[in-house]
Amino acid sequence: MIDYSNKRVLIADDFSGFRSSVTGMLRQMAVRNVDAVATGEETLALCRNTQYDVILHDYNLGEGKNGQQVLEELHHTKRISPHCIFVMVTAESSQAMVMAALECEPDAYLTKPFNRASLEQRLDKLVQRKAALKPVLEAVSRNDPQAVVDACRTITQEQPRLATLCQRYLADALAQLGQDAELETLLSGLVGDRPLPWALVALANHLRARGKLDEAQALYERGVELFPMLPALFDGLAAIHDARGDSLAAQQCLEQGVRISPHALQRQVELGKLARRNDDYAKAARAFRHAVGLGRNSAFRSPETHLQLAATLTEQDGPGVINSKVLLEIRQTLAEVDKTWKDDPTLIARSNLLQGSALIKNGQKSEAERYAQMASERLEGFEGSLAPDTVLDMARQLRDLGRADTADSVLSTCAEMYGDDPAILEQIAAQTDNPEILKAGEQAKTCNREGIKCYQQKHFPEALELFRQASASQPRNISYALNTAQSLLQLLAQTPDEALKAECLRSLGQAHNMPTSDKRYERYQKLRRAADAL
Amino acid sequence: MSDHDEQSGEGLDFSTVIASTVHDMKNSLAMLMQAYSESLASLPPELSGSREHGVMEYESLRLNGMLVQMLGLYKLQVNQLPLRPAWIELDDFLEAQLARHNNILRARHIKGSLEVEEEGMLGYFDAELVGSVVANVINNSIRYARSAIQLHASMRDGQLSIAISDDGEGYPPAMIERQSDYVMGIDLSTGSTGLGLYFGERIARLHQRNGVQGHIELSNDGPLGGGTFRIWLP
Repeated sequence: MIDYSNKRVLIADDFSGFRSSVTGMLRQMAVRNVDAVATGEETLALCRNTQYDVILHDYNLGEGKNGQQVLEELHHTKRISPHCIFVMVTAESSQAMVMAALECEPDAYLTKPFNRASLEQRLDKLVQRKAALKPVLEAVSRNDPQAVVDACRTITQEQPRLATLCQRYLADALAQLGQDAELETLLSGLVGDRPLPWALVALANHLRARGKLDEAQALYERGVELFPMLPALFDGLAAIHDARGDSLAAQQCLEQGVRISPHALQRQVELGKLARRNDDYAKAARAFRHAVGLGRNSAFRSPETHLQLAATLTEQDGPGVINSKVLLEIRQTLAEVDKTWKDDPTLIARSNLLQGSALIKNGQKSEAERYAQMASERLEGFEGSLAPDTVLDMARQLRDLGRADTADSVLSTCAEMYGDDPAILEQIAAQTDNPEILKAGEQAKTCNREGIKCYQQKHFPEALELFRQASASQPRNISYALNTAQSLLQLLAQTPDEALKAECLRSLGQAHNMPTSDKRYERYQKLRRAADAL
Repeated sequence: MSDHDEQSGEGLDFSTVIASTVHDMKNSLAMLMQAYSESLASLPPELSGSREHGVMEYESLRLNGMLVQMLGLYKLQVNQLPLRPAWIELDDFLEAQLARHNNILRARHIKGSLEVEEEGMLGYFDAELVGSVVANVINNSIRYARSAIQLHASMRDGQLSIAISDDGEGYPPAMIERQSDYVMGIDLSTGSTGLGLYFGERIARLHQRNGVQGHIELSNDGPLGGGTFRIWLP
């Protein structure tokens, strides 16, 4: 007999009858602490302060967030402990299962109607399981993957029948540790002639990430044959086609995934981007529109989706006047950005520019200029922190709207931040021939190049001096700041020095504005951790 | 900003109507059963065990089972039934099936028992789908059983067998002889029983390994003397 008297249980369901009847069942099981709410939003609020042992959550809660969105948000905000039992309650579970992202599944599904015996039996089992996995779950909550691996191995050795429960934790931990060979062995073992869906997807994703596209594709295709309702397989296939340059095939795969599971925000965004690249504006607009709608209930809402939708709608009918219904949709979409993210001037400037572009296309020149004017004002003191593609887009729009001065100033920021990358400098040159922008960084570039040579020859003090010079003349450049910080760390590893340490932190501070999508972001974080550890 | 429906212009598809209605019916039924069990809980125990209550409980579970089956068959037809197999602990799985019918079994004085061939044995299948088949079979057996129903799991030649046996009269001989007609959906003259067999067969067939598909089997040589329904999963 399991003692439930000290367990905290949360019930979320929009029908009060259901809440009271389940509360009654739990009371009969001697549970004393029961909270009951009607919406997912309330679940999230309660979980901010309370650690529940069990959450019985309805999937379909009417207007607000659904159970899956709540679960994902709880994971994302780390408001659910791995020890908590999350049970998804549904009238019919196949719909909920299709929606569940493989990396964020509930501990169990429970189908309505159910009686007390069923509830108790299911909870008994889940409590026993969590108890058996306690050392693993503790290591997971400490985010200690090596301890997860060790705990899984101990449990599997001592109680072989629990092995199946450990496998997923083990796979996640091995992936985190980068132990590719072990991970591949483990997953391959689980994808024999009785393949587990999650393991098949994990193995195929792993192979794809390691560049083994053919093997990965074969595995995804086998998966589609066995589990045609598993949308993650189509995501993987799409990524493979895209990597091979076949963006049309990629789009088709994502469309299949979306058909199975139309309410997954990220997949809709990916589909929109692909369709837009393929000049399939109707499908792109539909996907972004869907994503904007889904975002209203999601923790993963991003203004980029709105901006993408507005841009797609502006592009969709080629040159010529935009029809008034579409223009209205653009206006409403951007108004939502301006209202929801009102504290981000750069973002609102981008929204203004998109609005201006739509208006100018429509021949409404003076109103377009008004938006361009607003954008220019908001871009004064523009600090960067945008991906180069976005900055280049903005500069182009500013120029089209008659704001060459602001366009140049944005480009000059872009040149300073990214000018050491010849590809980006080339794109800047395509927009301007202003030598003050294009040539401003040449001397710094030479210093940096020389600095790299010295660094490779392990002449660290000389390298540092050169990087310092480069960074002093182009303080917003990301590479120069990172290179300076890295050489300082080299020297600091040999001789600690407070002044140099402070300089290192300052250099990293210069790069803190970089977008998280930048390929150097990981390097930045690594340096940051090393500097903080000094 | 509403989106166009994928199927716009194709007219109303009746099976979609059925599917969404069934979904609502299930919800409605769940509410009904919940309200019923609440009102039952407020009665003194000597009144809550009446025959009428047993009928209500049993028939609503039966209704629920039929709705699950109907929705399942619809989803099978449009290829939207997800298969999510996992390694399932069989004693746990069978226990859950009995728990679902706990109240009725008690009300009808039927002893439900389970047996697994090997302690801790695991099976590879979709617990949700196979569970709905087993639940329907148990529900059916309750009608015919005199005093006992037994669930049994075992392995034969690399295939898992889950058997549901009762101590009733057994299946009519004609049904045993012509079971392939029933499971193929050719003869549905027995109404819900026939449809149940067809559903069981379809779910069993979704499970396959190395080209071998699952199947179901009816017999009257069960351990309790009545009929046995067996689902084979490769």
